[in-house]
Amino acid sequence: MTPFSGNGYKKYSINEDTLAMMEIAHREGIETVWDRLAKQEPQCGYCQLGTSCRICAMGPCRVDPFGDGPQKGVCGADADIIVARNLARMVAAGASSHSDHGRDILETLHLVGEGHTDVYKISDTAKLHRLAAEYGIVTDGKSDQEVAKALAWQMMEDYGMRRTGLPMAKRAPQARQDIWQKTGTYPRGIDRENVEMLHRTHMGVDNDWINILLQAVRTALSDGWGGSMLATELSDVLFGVPTPKMSQMNLGVLKVDQVNIILHGHNPMLSEVIVAASQDPELVELAKSKGAHGINLAGLCCTGNEVLMRKGIPMAGNHLMQELCIITGAVEMMVVDYQCIMPAVAETAKCFHTKVISTFDKAKFPGVEHISFNPQHGLASGKQIVKMAVDNYTNRVQTRVHIPVNPVPMMTGFSIEAILSALGGTPKPLIDAIVAGSIRGAVGVVGCNNPKIKQDLGHTELTKRLIENDILVLVTGCATVAAGKAGLMVPEAAELAGPGLKAVCKALGIPPVLHVGSCVDNSRIIALGAALANTLGVDMSALPLAGAAPEWYSEKAVAIGVYVVASGIFTVLGIAPPVFGSPNIVKLLTEGLEGVFGATFAVEPDPNRAAVLIRRHIEKKRQGLGIPAIDPASIILPEPELQVV
Amino acid sequence: MKTVFVHPERCIGCKQCEIACTVAHSQTKNLFLAVFESPTSKPRIHAEPGLVLNTAFPNKCRHCNPAPCQMACPTAAISRPADHPEIVYLSPHKCIACGMCAIVCPFDVITFYATNSAPGRPAVAIKCDHCIERQRQGSEPACVEACKVEALEWGELNEMVKTARTRYSEAVSVAVGNVSTEMVAIPANVEAWHAYGAEVSRLNASGEKGA
Repeated sequence: MTPFSGNGYKKYSINEDTLAMMEIAHREGIETVWDRLAKQEPQCGYCQLGTSCRICAMGPCRVDPFGDGPQKGVCGADADIIVARNLARMVAAGASSHSDHGRDILETLHLVGEGHTDVYKISDTAKLHRLAAEYGIVTDGKSDQEVAKALAWQMMEDYGMRRTGLPMAKRAPQARQDIWQKTGTYPRGIDRENVEMLHRTHMGVDNDWINILLQAVRTALSDGWGGSMLATELSDVLFGVPTPKMSQMNLGVLKVDQVNIILHGHNPMLSEVIVAASQDPELVELAKSKGAHGINLAGLCCTGNEVLMRKGIPMAGNHLMQELCIITGAVEMMVVDYQCIMPAVAETAKCFHTKVISTFDKAKFPGVEHISFNPQHGLASGKQIVKMAVDNYTNRVQTRVHIPVNPVPMMTGFSIEAILSALGGTPKPLIDAIVAGSIRGAVGVVGCNNPKIKQDLGHTELTKRLIENDILVLVTGCATVAAGKAGLMVPEAAELAGPGLKAVCKALGIPPVLHVGSCVDNSRIIALGAALANTLGVDMSALPLAGAAPEWYSEKAVAIGVYVVASGIFTVLGIAPPVFGSPNIVKLLTEGLEGVFGATFAVEPDPNRAAVLIRRHIEKKRQGLGIPAIDPASIILPEPELQVV
Repeated sequence: MKTVFVHPERCIGCKQCEIACTVAHSQTKNLFLAVFESPTSKPRIHAEPGLVLNTAFPNKCRHCNPAPCQMACPTAAISRPADHPEIVYLSPHKCIACGMCAIVCPFDVITFYATNSAPGRPAVAIKCDHCIERQRQGSEPACVEACKVEALEWGELNEMVKTARTRYSEAVSVAVGNVSTEMVAIPANVEAWHAYGAEVSRLNASGEKGA
């Protein structure tokens, strides 16, 4: 426990552990993400509105959103073209990130298929065979290794240019696929769509802003129904399909008397190995010889979500906790792979004994020791890293250790397979509950933290409002940690749900907020939506579903938002994307898309108001399905109360 | 007298001052909402380019005293607020958009647009008010807050001039030190005195001796 109350920092976060660490940071002069945001403010208005363009060297150019200054860039691009090109490139960067993550997992499957790795193996044969069947691979008489190799070869084609459509996109209802065909947005090859997006946003290629945005949709769909889905499915094959289990969350999962190792990033390849290495008897013995009682692992961000889902490893926090967990003084090592790792952690670590270790050759950090991870001989790297952490335990200054809170329990592991299993093997009980109205609908609350929104306020308030109104919530990524820390992810949290959802949760022994995984695992949400729609014989846009990213910050979140909307699911963003400089594009995203994809975006930072927008949408969809519905207009939209920081 | 002091040599032409000014003078004071206002707000500061590439000067009302615009205005729309007499303030509802203020303005920073503070008029004069509303609430002008390169500085004019002057003197002293003594007729004793000063400065700077 710590004497630091964190009073005085309450406008930054709803979490006790965050506030206490901010107070220590302030006293010791350690800079945090909030300090750096304050120094950046006010941030560039052109960039926030999306009307600045750095694409070519005739520029950089800006379009004055107030109409006084220039209305066109040097090339002649107006606000519509500039905003569309910028947004499209954000989508391409986000989709590329997920898909390149998927590629690394795919290459690992290929190593297994070739027999070139001494660490990875097929953990779920049934899923391997389901995927092989989906890809038309004859498995009779083949060993798992041979099937893995054949599947890997087929999936590598998903990244190429031979396909006219991604095989996993066929999981979507036919009506949805028809929309993609009709609009020219059916994803063909993953790398192809991303490269074509970069090509089309080069100066002087695609200048029809609607045409640019349609390719952005195709690029995003190649992520959701391609790269991300592949990452999810193959991680399940290699590391196991997640099953429900209990775990814990917040900085209290760090242990005063153990070697603490933080696993940070997104790719589960290395972290799975670290989990194995941390249980190595020799290393545990070494830790004891240094005076520690054991080796304790804790996750951050999506690497944390991956090992939480499959191994029940507790999570220390989400995106905005990455510097703060070091400030506990109790972290011997932070092992990072890639994505969302602030370069700032290297500086924060210098104030403590914490070692930061980078592991992927595509993600190096100044001032950070790099141990190149080799998936062929992964366990050796894992043991080397864990040993460095154990050796570092003796450098810990116990008087500087402040672990501010006790951990909060939560339930994890709700893969689609696990959800169906909890329902008795078929989605029918869930559909029955939705038809009867005891569950009004389901919402994916996903995405990051952003210091522009009080940390976790957007996630938790929205989630509470939804479950109170009998809406089942599925969480991934950083939203998971918010809901977990708030105590919404234990079966007992059913008491916080409305009467209908409460009864269903109690009957099944599940929480009203289900953890479905990391940010690539948003593919589980759309796949579940597709399965429900196929069972009912309707398009996904007819279902009472919605998505929300209350505190998003990353390009990956933009790609996710676009593929979710293009899959027919209404999505509310808590942070405005850089599009407001083009009224045409704002109108398209918030209204026009309805007539094309049957879903739109909305921007609403206040979670209470976002909840009402979602409830109205869900009731409208219920009306459309002809099942019991409340008049959407009767749900009153409250005045904005909760302010953005 | 507090004013916005401009260091044109530091301006990188990002135009954030213009955006911040426009938002500060909008109805909603919110960037994302301001772009949808009608009529839209307009900037009172203008970072126009210089003759040489990559130079710019953030130009705005210098709040002259006496102010030619105030003297030329036929409707007394331009005045000096009692609580901020250093500000040349324009009351939009009194403006008849005759353009006299713009004609006599030495800096050409008065423009004419429709504005929410004079509803129904096609255009009235728009000029810097030194963010008088923000000042009354204890904030500095929005353009200064927005400037990330310290090209715009808010403070007492004489203090800012002194700081700039000191910087200039330092630059000149370095320049003079680079002129060969053979080129200038300096008595030997003065040359020795300069050499002594340079030596002390060097030692102090290196930290080897002295304070």
